[in-house]
Amino acid sequence: MPNSDVVNPVTMKDLKSSDPRWCTGCGDYTILVGLRKFMVQNQIFRENTVNISGIGCSGRIPHYMNTYGIHSIHGRAIPIALGIALAKPELKLFIHSGDGDSLSIGGNHLLHGIKKNFNCVYLLFDNQIYGLTKSQTSPTTRQGLPTPSHPSGAMIEPINPISFALGAGASFVATTAEWMGNHFVETLDAAFKHPGFSFVHIAQRCPKFNPSAWNFQDSSWLTFLVDEQAGIAADSKSAPDAKVQSYSPHSYENAMAISKDVPNVFGLVYKAEKPMYDKLVLDATKNQKQKDLDDLLNDYII
Amino acid sequence: MQKKSNFRFELLMDAGNGAQKAGDILIKAFAKKGVYVFIEPIIPAEISPPKRTPFSLSGAVIRLSDSDITNIGSFSDLVLVEHEILLERRLQDQEFTEGCTILLDLGSKKRAQDAYEAVEKKAADAGYNVVSFMISEEAEALIKSLNGNGKNMYYLGILACLFNVDKDFLISFIKQTFKKLPKDKLDSNIQIFEFGFNAQVMDEADSLLFEGITHKNEKVLLDGNTALALGVIDAGIRLYAGYPITPASSIMHSLARLLPAYGGVLHQAEDEISAIGTVIGSYFAGVPAITATSGPGLSLKQEFIGLSVASEIPCIVVDVQRGGPSTGLPTRTEQTDLFAAAYGSHGDGPKVVISVANVDDCFYVPHVARYIAEVCRLPVIILSDYMISVSYRVVDKLKQSKLDDVRKIDDFVLDHFYMNRLSDSIEMVKENQNSPGIPDQMRRVTGLNTGSSGAIEYSADSNHRAHEVRSKKIHAVRHALKMPERFGSDSGDLLLVGWGSSRGAIEEAVQSLVNDGVDVGGLHFKMVYPLPLNLTDIFQSYKHVVTVEMAYGDSLKATPFSMMLRSETLCDVQGLICEAKGRPIKPIYLIEKAQAFLKEVQHA
Ligand SMILES: Cc1ncc(C[n+]2csc(CCOP(=O)(O)OP(=O)(O)O)c2C)c(N)n1
Ligand code: SF4
Ligand SMILES: [Mg+2]
Repeated sequence: MPNSDVVNPVTMKDLKSSDPRWCTGCGDYTILVGLRKFMVQNQIFRENTVNISGIGCSGRIPHYMNTYGIHSIHGRAIPIALGIALAKPELKLFIHSGDGDSLSIGGNHLLHGIKKNFNCVYLLFDNQIYGLTKSQTSPTTRQGLPTPSHPSGAMIEPINPISFALGAGASFVATTAEWMGNHFVETLDAAFKHPGFSFVHIAQRCPKFNPSAWNFQDSSWLTFLVDEQAGIAADSKSAPDAKVQSYSPHSYENAMAISKDVPNVFGLVYKAEKPMYDKLVLDATKNQKQKDLDDLLNDYII
Repeated sequence: MQKKSNFRFELLMDAGNGAQKAGDILIKAFAKKGVYVFIEPIIPAEISPPKRTPFSLSGAVIRLSDSDITNIGSFSDLVLVEHEILLERRLQDQEFTEGCTILLDLGSKKRAQDAYEAVEKKAADAGYNVVSFMISEEAEALIKSLNGNGKNMYYLGILACLFNVDKDFLISFIKQTFKKLPKDKLDSNIQIFEFGFNAQVMDEADSLLFEGITHKNEKVLLDGNTALALGVIDAGIRLYAGYPITPASSIMHSLARLLPAYGGVLHQAEDEISAIGTVIGSYFAGVPAITATSGPGLSLKQEFIGLSVASEIPCIVVDVQRGGPSTGLPTRTEQTDLFAAAYGSHGDGPKVVISVANVDDCFYVPHVARYIAEVCRLPVIILSDYMISVSYRVVDKLKQSKLDDVRKIDDFVLDHFYMNRLSDSIEMVKENQNSPGIPDQMRRVTGLNTGSSGAIEYSADSNHRAHEVRSKKIHAVRHALKMPERFGSDSGDLLLVGWGSSRGAIEEAVQSLVNDGVDVGGLHFKMVYPLPLNLTDIFQSYKHVVTVEMAYGDSLKATPFSMMLRSETLCDVQGLICEAKGRPIKPIYLIEKAQAFLKEVQHA
């Protein structure tokens, strides 16, 4: 469906639905606002947009976006999104998932979603903690952090979401932070324009349960990866003291190497054109000589 | 030559030696001649178990009749078996009739003299007529040239000759089946067949003749899973998502071949959870979708089934039941997922469960499932089982329904499931049920409780209302159910009740008992949840009500269906015929049990 309805452009107000219920200072608010901003900038029509989420604080996003949406079950937004992609390929899909939702209970779906490279934007809300269930160790919790499930400190090293995505064969991998507004919206923009499964890792603040996860008041610890043609620009407004590194997102080896610096680097890590499963499946049907339903049983006649 | 009108035989070979292939060829020829056939493959649970072991038992049980048959029957009249170990194994199942002829290949006797003699003696002592034979040297030479393949063609020849099937007529089916084989290999197979055909293992006088009838209507030969796959297409379902599991996989295989040619898509998911998620996604976007699995997969899907109930996004799940729990008996049959289907998932999620009893049901069940799932916006679970999924039958060419708009579903399809049209005013928890793409109707669905606006609500009343609205959808289905299929007397001493694949055995047993003057009736359900109203009245017209189930039960553990019927009717329903042997229920077993039961209660 074309977005040609210039008579009624999409506004920030149009995208509001019920009022969010996150804790004060939660990074999910900024993600919500950034997402709306991005939709307005691109004039993406609400009726053609589906926000799909798993369970977690992050999973509430669809409720607050006046688009179509499914707040589904823990870890399993991807299979639902794929069903929508195969049924109505013209719809724009945004998947929202927490670090636990993505990399613990939903890890298998994430692996296969990335590999299938079906068309969607995937937002991984990384607060390095299980928010909604009150602060248990998550797959990205930093080693040593005491949590109610590991009072003496998280035992093992966290999973590196970027290495995971690259290892799974992602065609688009970016990492950003919700408190860096411009960088965030620009990242969404690049992800949206990329055909395939666009994996966006978002550093997300959880002041309630994991305030130490991200130091958003200082920016000297972070480095922007920038490439003049393909990359995402550095956000000097939100992160004035950040380092800037010139980086080409087209090399898989570079990407794998730089992923070791996650979570201290931000930007477009990798981008390549890869076959899309949704397109392959739909084309297989399109290219198949169609049969007449009347002949359905003919091969079985004796 | 002996004229026959009803006969059951079996061909038993080591797995991988082509017994089912030979059986398929033979029944196609029979079916073409107008004989009714019912074939049940015997398949080991492993892919290639070591040959000459009991685990390697593989084969085809074939029932032939001049009139329509609904089940595999009770006993075999003739057996052709490759070697003594398979015979020994199959004797344990006690499915050979008195005086049954056993054609035993002596090819392995040299290396197992004692074992052969022991099993021959055992069979003779049991009253069976063992006829031994050897594959001719010319045929052996050809088999050797085919790397040991082709023995099944020799056996096929023996059987074809025994049944007086025209040789060239049968060869035409061999050619059709092996059309992809290189010419020299095909010729060798045909030659081996001819050697078998001319082997004269049995006397001419002992040969059998089925005249067959000329079918008035066009006939099709279908197994349950193929019929279900074709039904999916005819029902207008356009997306199939599944994960491999025996015995559901062949549905996916058929649809992978067929669905794209009818405008649909096939998706092999990374697991069963993902498969149902994709079905729900597709349905949310407005495209009817289905997934098929077996018991272990049904367990995995339960959380999404709950979401389907709460979010009011329809979904259709097929469960081809096998023996359980866990991997259980993957190539044997059972009816033990009833509770997992009807009462599974979490937090009181009412859903509809429909079962199938035969090929016709398999073809039409996707239509009714779609109708109920979409009109009520809830999950519908279809219960098939291993037996139905693999058994072939000849049936009248099925009348297509070509379902598009579910509201316009054909009456004959609803009638087939003993159901009236659903009310037009079924209330939903959420008023807005639109699909993405429609302007100004944007909505968010969720597993959280909502009010009628669709917004999250945690109030006591709102949660209670949601339960009520969802339950009333099930009541609407219940109200639409007619009395299910009945056999025999409408009142009397005993009522035999069953669901799903026990239908054929119940029908045949009740018929036979009634013919013997026993006052029994039969009742068979296709819809298993919800059940129709006023069952109690029916049950009360009989002195005793018992169930027929392929499930375990004893005096301290009620069978699943009897438990369900008891709770629904408060009648004393007993799980009398409850076998969990992995084999279909034999009509004869039903007859004997019913007679013994009546004798016992009459004396008491
Ligand atoms: C099957 C299942 N198991 C457990 C839960 C409980 N649960 C809800 S959210 C959650 C973890 C959320 O953590 P994360 O994905 O990081 O999201 P966040 O809340 O941090 O945004 C868990 C374990 C559930 N809803 N479903
Ligand atoms: S618990 Fe953390 S993630 Fe959840 S709403 Fe509160 S601040 Fe946000
Ligand atoms: Mg989290």
